[in-house]
Amino acid sequence: MASTLRGWKIRSARLAGGLSQAELARRAGLSAPYLNLIERNRRPASAAILARIADALGVALAELDGEAERRLSEEIGEILVDPVLAASQAAIGSAEDLVGRAPGWAEVIRRLYRAYRDQRQSVLALADRLNHDPFLGEGVHRLLTHVTSIRSSAEILAGQTPLDAAERDRFLAIVTADSARLSDAARSLLSFFEDNSIRVRSATTMEHVDAFIFDTNNYFGSLEMAAAEVRSDLRDPQKSGTPALDDAGGGRDEIAGGASNRSFRSVRRLALPVVEGEIDRIVSTHPALPSAEARELARSALSNYAAAAVLMPYDDFLGAARACRYDLDVLGARYGVSYEQAAHRVATLRKPGAEGVRFAYMRSDPSGFVTKRLPVPGLPLPRYGTACPLWVIYGAFQTPGATVRGFGELPGGEQFLFLARAVEKSPAVVGRPRHLLSIMLACPAAEAAKVVYGDGLDMRSAMIPVGTICRLCTRLECGARQEPPLLA
Amino acid sequence: MTQARILVVEDEPNIVESLRFILSRAGFAVDVSGDGADALRRMRNGRYDAVVLDIMLPGLNGFEVLKAVRADPGLAGLPVIVLTAKGQATDRRSAEEIGASAFITKPFANADVVAQVRSLAARR
Repeated sequence: MASTLRGWKIRSARLAGGLSQAELARRAGLSAPYLNLIERNRRPASAAILARIADALGVALAELDGEAERRLSEEIGEILVDPVLAASQAAIGSAEDLVGRAPGWAEVIRRLYRAYRDQRQSVLALADRLNHDPFLGEGVHRLLTHVTSIRSSAEILAGQTPLDAAERDRFLAIVTADSARLSDAARSLLSFFEDNSIRVRSATTMEHVDAFIFDTNNYFGSLEMAAAEVRSDLRDPQKSGTPALDDAGGGRDEIAGGASNRSFRSVRRLALPVVEGEIDRIVSTHPALPSAEARELARSALSNYAAAAVLMPYDDFLGAARACRYDLDVLGARYGVSYEQAAHRVATLRKPGAEGVRFAYMRSDPSGFVTKRLPVPGLPLPRYGTACPLWVIYGAFQTPGATVRGFGELPGGEQFLFLARAVEKSPAVVGRPRHLLSIMLACPAAEAAKVVYGDGLDMRSAMIPVGTICRLCTRLECGARQEPPLLA
Repeated sequence: MTQARILVVEDEPNIVESLRFILSRAGFAVDVSGDGADALRRMRNGRYDAVVLDIMLPGLNGFEVLKAVRADPGLAGLPVIVLTAKGQATDRRSAEEIGASAFITKPFANADVVAQVRSLAARR
């Protein structure tokens, strides 16, 4: 899919560089007719050729491979299947075309849609609050009760029926007292509306942070180094006066989450003075974080990254991961971290030259709401809806605490090993529903031999046809289908 | 002619005060109950010509009291005027379905309450 966008990219980069086709072809060691075919997407540009063209143009390879455009066209594709656009004429396949020909307009569509989603979320949250907030119901009831008594008493006072002094006094007192109570009730209802900040997680903000993480390949060398510094400080309390790593604990909200979350939070807090300068630098200079909210969210993600790097130092963790073949329970036990923390760290093993298996990461609540996503090329993770119901991330809720795994083949033929486990987000409380989240990792099936979770599964016989999002999926006969497909 | 007896079932003291005043000035003998279960007991023990019943009661709510009244053969034909905050057509219909004889929304005009009670108590 990426290849149809490469031609456009090469052409516009060439034009930006002020080069003719003949000149670029010469510099890149290609024939001019062949370059022409490449630019018009009539021939693919191999990785080698792309590299030569990039060199010849003096640009980074990443600028030509169309990755950003691919993500944009994927997102436009998802936007086009939103029911709000059901009557639209645009065919799904034309998303690439739009991005290729008019990337500015594609960007506009993306921005408008995200803004629309944010507004919709806010409205839903507010409506929900209005319908279910007990304070509101109570407040309105009080208002009505006081108005009723004031009205009735006032009618008595102003009415034809003569009143004796005692009766007059009594009803005047009621009007006075209930007027005061009415004022209080009105004031408190008004303040409910005034400081009622419906804080909704902006889809736009999350998208920006997702793009940021994706762009940086989820690896931050400078934070890894800073983490090493923090680790040596924590090991040696005499050095800096900070408590030793094992004793790190305490704080008002450390009750929830168990030991691993407590120590994670403590480490994050202790690491902050060392890493925050670098985090600020990263966040303020990266182009994918245009808003203050996005930067704030990214800061939080990076401080979590740093804490993970302190608890699970890169080279050590990579070695251990390879040795145990990415067994998350073994890694969790070895480093004193939770399953989720180990899974998350495994998805950050992207140090150039020292990479682990490439994993996509996804986290969902039981209703299907995705709370974290890190896609990899070839495996798009849904932004605005739920994923294919056949994905193990959902099946894992049926057996909380146990890892569910399987091979899946996407409609385009890409094959992946999926593994997921539903974990308790906070400790169980008697009488309350469990708060479960499902954590899923996925790696290319070709790497399954390096991963313990592929053991015992015969790729050939265990390969299940799956999709990514029902509306976009071409598997017409799938029994798990949530919605009819929109055929391109 | 003996005075008609009305039972007012309402837990807000100031509203009770007003209702008691306007109904007694209109010539009715007025009893008051602040609780649904107590109200049912009184209805079964005494002879009332009409009941003014608030829907939003603590404990046994007004709808449940109404259902109990209609289910009781000893209380057949007892007019029940329902007082409610919700004035929508759907609430009116629900109340009528369960057997309310009349329906008054809060905040009410005193004259309306008196008129309804007069009209329903007279039929007994």
